[in-house]
Amino acid sequence: MSGGRAAPASLLDHLVGGALGWLDTVRDDFRLPPDVTTDADPDHTLKPLGELAELTYLISTSHPRHDLRRAADDLFAFAWDETRDGELFAELVRGEPHATYPVEIYGVFAQAGLRAPAVDRLLAATTAPRGWRVAREDHTRTLGVLNAERRIGLAPHADFTAVLEHTNLGTMSEPWALDRKGAYGLTHDVFHLTDWGRAPGRLPPAYADYLRLWLPAWLENWLDEQLWDLAAELLAVTACVPAAPYDAAAWQRLAAAQEPDGRVPDLGAGSSSGDHAATFTSCYHSTLATAFAGTLTRIALDATGAGQRAQVHESEVAP
Amino acid sequence: MAEQAQGAGTVPLSAVVADAANGVVLALTGGGDPYALSRLLGQGDAMASAAIRVLGADALAPYALDHRAVPGGEDDEAVVREALAAYPPGPDASAVSVWTYRGLVEASHAFLPGGADRFPQAPQAASAWVTDDPWPKLSHRVSQLAALALPGVAQDLADRLAVRTDDLARGFVRAVRRRDWLQAAGLGRWLARLPDVPQTLGLDTGLAFVRRMSDGDPRVALHVVAARQFYGRGG
Repeated sequence: MSGGRAAPASLLDHLVGGALGWLDTVRDDFRLPPDVTTDADPDHTLKPLGELAELTYLISTSHPRHDLRRAADDLFAFAWDETRDGELFAELVRGEPHATYPVEIYGVFAQAGLRAPAVDRLLAATTAPRGWRVAREDHTRTLGVLNAERRIGLAPHADFTAVLEHTNLGTMSEPWALDRKGAYGLTHDVFHLTDWGRAPGRLPPAYADYLRLWLPAWLENWLDEQLWDLAAELLAVTACVPAAPYDAAAWQRLAAAQEPDGRVPDLGAGSSSGDHAATFTSCYHSTLATAFAGTLTRIALDATGAGQRAQVHESEVAP
Repeated sequence: MAEQAQGAGTVPLSAVVADAANGVVLALTGGGDPYALSRLLGQGDAMASAAIRVLGADALAPYALDHRAVPGGEDDEAVVREALAAYPPGPDASAVSVWTYRGLVEASHAFLPGGADRFPQAPQAASAWVTDDPWPKLSHRVSQLAALALPGVAQDLADRLAVRTDDLARGFVRAVRRRDWLQAAGLGRWLARLPDVPQTLGLDTGLAFVRRMSDGDPRVALHVVAARQFYGRGG
């Protein structure tokens, strides 16, 4: 990061503060329905709550500003409450003992020291069989499971580096061959590898060079398409790369997409239907991604100003 | 400029340019009769002059091959002189227009037998944009100058672009993502000429990809074939 830091920091903090403010106003939409462990679609219930937990925990422990840390911490505590102090995970695991998503989401809380002994006992049994080690279809997702296992303290079911080699980041795919799905995969390869930006030092130099070279092209492309959630994720990845310049133009374009109430639409100007549920569905992810990217970028900006790389709160050991 | 020129006939300029580009591709790949520009685009034909102006230096590209069997002749000189006379860049011409004109003049000096004194002098062309343009704009401009990526032509431009190789590579990525095959091919051709193209770009597979995805566009094929024949890139 380079250049004057005051104006970028102000823009970033305004974005993050606005995003957290909107997320707070739609808190009820993250609440889990009574049928969460039976009939409800996890994509509409647990996925939003898991994302809320993952990213607000990062912000609550890492953002340089106390008020923003506190706002994020409040949302993170709300998310834990929704799991009924983790009891939810025991029900989910008993319902689907071979599914990965309860493990991935529980890992977020376990990392924060929020544990449920019943869940820990269950996972020790459900992740022990050889069947848990069968390769998943999506290697990027497997990296997420491996990261969760590390957070929980379970034995890794596969070799992280070997799995990484099958991803877009690991193969360093031709940058022009990265389509939308590939780009989402690549951002998550980086998030899982660096534990969501906490350990940028895990990024091998060759990958860092690759990202530093091509991120501007990808950002330009998806900013042009006004795909704001992917643009935000790419800006978060940029902040994970040592010595990546602060992309003022890209941040200004993302900031211009933020609505006065703080939400960021996923695409273009967003829906104007006035349907509250539709607005939540189309905005929660892009708004969280923006708050996350703004936080990592702010940390990187400060670290550069202090002449050192961002250190969040974990040692930079290989996963 | 010439892109808008239309003759009295019913064949649009774009079709004349496409036919001529096919002829150049054939010559560059060693197919057909020995190349003669004046057989493709004859004298006294306004549309032919316009097509030569659009193709620019590429109208003479086959003469840049080391193993060319037959050099350009008197008739070629005449059609090129005609095109240069018909479409000189005006005082308000864009940098791209001046550069493409300059490219045709330089190629005439290099590849036609008459030598420099039979053709106009190469006009001065603005070049501050090479260092000043942000990479998306730079890439767009450079793709429009693809015909200048030819041995013996625009060496000074090549030298100056060498420091912006990474930026042009980013432009290639962007052009492919936008499915702008002509822009991608033009940039790929320039990258083939420049040193130190990032290895992770995958220029060779990228050029092949662009050619196939363009579904036979002759101008795309021309850039890809030129990258291979002159600079050994593209597989």
